[in-house]
Amino acid sequence: MRTYIPKRLLLMIPTLVGITLLAYAIVRLAPGDPIEAMILAQSGDIDPKVMRQSAERIRERLGLKDINYWGDDVATHLEQLEKGDDAAKGRAAAELERITGKTFARDIDSWKKWWDVNRFDFEKTLIDPAEKVVNVFHGYGRWVGHIVQGNFGESIKYRSSAYRTPDGHGSRNPIHLFLERIPVTLTLNVVAQFFIFLIAIPVGLTAARHRGRLFDRGSTLILLGFWSVPVILSGTLLLVYLCKGGEGMEWFPLAGLHALDAEDLGWWDYLVDTLWHATLPVACMVYGGLAYLAKLGRASLLENLRADYIRTARAKGLPEHRVVYHHALRNSLLPMITTVVLMLPAMIGGSVIVETLFTIQGMGLLTVNAAKAYDLSVIMTSTLVYGTLTLMALLIGDILYAWADPQVRYE
Amino acid sequence: MSDARTTEAGEPTGAPKSYGAIVWGQLRKRPSAMISLAAIVLLALVSIAAPFIIGEIPVRWVENGETSWPIFRYLSNFEYAAMLALVLAVTVPLTMRLLRPRALIAGASPFTWTVLVHAGLWLIITFALVSFREPERRYGFYLERADQVDAAWFPAIAYPRNPGYRELAFKNQSPSWEHPLGTGRLGNDILMGVLYGARTAMSIGFVAVGISMSIGVILGALSGYFGGWIDLVLMRIAEIFMCIPRLILIIIILTVIPSNWPPLWMVVFVLSVTGWTGSYRMMRAQMLRIRTEDYMTAARALGIPLWRLLGRHAVPNGLAPLLVGATFGIAGAVFLESSLAFLNLVQTPSWGEMLNNGRQHPEHWWVWASAGAAIFVTVFVYNLLGEGIRDAIDPRLKI
Repeated sequence: MRTYIPKRLLLMIPTLVGITLLAYAIVRLAPGDPIEAMILAQSGDIDPKVMRQSAERIRERLGLKDINYWGDDVATHLEQLEKGDDAAKGRAAAELERITGKTFARDIDSWKKWWDVNRFDFEKTLIDPAEKVVNVFHGYGRWVGHIVQGNFGESIKYRSSAYRTPDGHGSRNPIHLFLERIPVTLTLNVVAQFFIFLIAIPVGLTAARHRGRLFDRGSTLILLGFWSVPVILSGTLLLVYLCKGGEGMEWFPLAGLHALDAEDLGWWDYLVDTLWHATLPVACMVYGGLAYLAKLGRASLLENLRADYIRTARAKGLPEHRVVYHHALRNSLLPMITTVVLMLPAMIGGSVIVETLFTIQGMGLLTVNAAKAYDLSVIMTSTLVYGTLTLMALLIGDILYAWADPQVRYE
Repeated sequence: MSDARTTEAGEPTGAPKSYGAIVWGQLRKRPSAMISLAAIVLLALVSIAAPFIIGEIPVRWVENGETSWPIFRYLSNFEYAAMLALVLAVTVPLTMRLLRPRALIAGASPFTWTVLVHAGLWLIITFALVSFREPERRYGFYLERADQVDAAWFPAIAYPRNPGYRELAFKNQSPSWEHPLGTGRLGNDILMGVLYGARTAMSIGFVAVGISMSIGVILGALSGYFGGWIDLVLMRIAEIFMCIPRLILIIIILTVIPSNWPPLWMVVFVLSVTGWTGSYRMMRAQMLRIRTEDYMTAARALGIPLWRLLGRHAVPNGLAPLLVGATFGIAGAVFLESSLAFLNLVQTPSWGEMLNNGRQHPEHWWVWASAGAAIFVTVFVYNLLGEGIRDAIDPRLKI
């Protein structure tokens, strides 16, 4: 076990690198210019020159600033030419002449004038395809460098004067947005998963014990029916007929996970309030997951009930309940750990719709809103956050499995 | 050939049945699976025949003694392609019988030949249609002129396809004989929405799952058969895709795709790109088992070329478990597609979109009830069929 966990952690690294590559590739390989599309989505019809300027600023903030690779160099050299010592000025001027083919020598004003006029055309023309491939890697390196430093870019949509950043934009680092919302989504998922277990396992086991009879067939059909009801339908119905402001009973709140005055409540009232708010969302997440787990539990128990050791136990004259619950059940729960862990990514992703329907400020709603607002840094961060969370869930599952089954070899 | 153990048609009688035949035999014993299969065929038929059921273009039109069949001019090339696909799928057994003697000489299974011939036919005809046929798009004013002509056969429900001034007078009507599922807030007929939504759902389900399964099967077969670095690289790639929840990945990809691209094909694209990992893993596991089987050793010893070794001997033996994944996959695709339309991330004529519209006016219950029921029924029959196939291929059942 002591060597197993570090080994498992090391194996996560290539996958994590792959996830960052995927996140970057989706934005970079997208047809068209995603940054310019983002600006269009934000501000509608604007002057192309202004658009290019803002696109450049955004690229810089996202760490995607590679089309300006040369422009970047020119800017540095210009600065050197202006402020550096004599040797630096000489080098900068020589570099500038080499890159641009202009011969202004050390005449800083001419350089600046030329640069103001030609900057965008210059940047576009200097990029040849081979250079572009290099630039993509260059940009990827920069982006990863920023992420390692904890800078995930800036959100376009989520701005607030309360979170004023040093450059005065008021935009927020996407990772903070996610850190605020991870507990909400995880809590919802863990509670839902708990209820799925609580209901599905007994149903599955009972079905296995009554194989082929009414309970077995009935429960399979009903759970399959539940599975087939889309959350978008059931959620809508619950919202319309059970929530305040709807058509029917006004039993539950319409949105959110807390009442507006939740901060002032005592811990007991706070808990009750949260439970009251969470009932419908959790119900929406639970009913669809029952069929799969019940079927799994049923198959697992059936397989164990056919095993030789069960025949031995029966032959010894053990009472039936002891055979089933003490011998077969324990062995059949074990393989389910892996399956349940594999279900986690789907669960975490599945709460997107529930969060959107019930306006719960979780990761899913954040991602959907970011997608609609073309908030690229938040979108890229969401890929990373979801990927990391799932990897951690898989790790915990593997460790649990190794811990529960001593026969697992740690290779 | 006239051995005592073969019949006149050349089929061995005493030989064991093929795995596919066993699974089909098991499946036929299950009424629920058969009912769901029939429902799926019906759904496919209805969605292909939608313009004949509801719409404004008459099937037959007699004006001044001249008879014409307008609907066939108005049907789009894709509608013809879909009809052709259905006809070709239904006639597979016929062609198989026709090809059998020749196929045996060529040494490949008649089924493979039939599928190849039909796929080729479909591709050629579809290509010809798209290249040379221009469907009629002009507005014919057929409904307005219906009283003035000698005879007209309209679709069962004659109603304009496009929401316009005409229909606004009929908006938000509850179900009636004229509009069996009522009308929406623009006077759009809900039954028409359900039918055209069925087209979206069925085509996206079939095409997306077909593409993603093909990707998964090919990569899985290569990965499982060769092992080594191919397996290592492919497995890592699959792992990366599995680590990000599918809906999130889809939302992210849809965001960066330009919004003026056709939404239907974009949904197919994202579902295919994100959906292959399941069938990849299954095929890989099957391949790891199959490559050690005796018949594979025998085939290798006979010096059969690699593509035939994989295509004829290895892959077909690993396909049955993937069928379960395919049927559940189609159900999942219908779910995802309607969810994306519901969240307003794509603009397709979809049940999800209808549900989203219906949600804003819950008092017009027929809107959301029809869309929701359509999604439920479609997903339910696919899940039921998937359950049936899963039980049928369960090795613990007696074969």
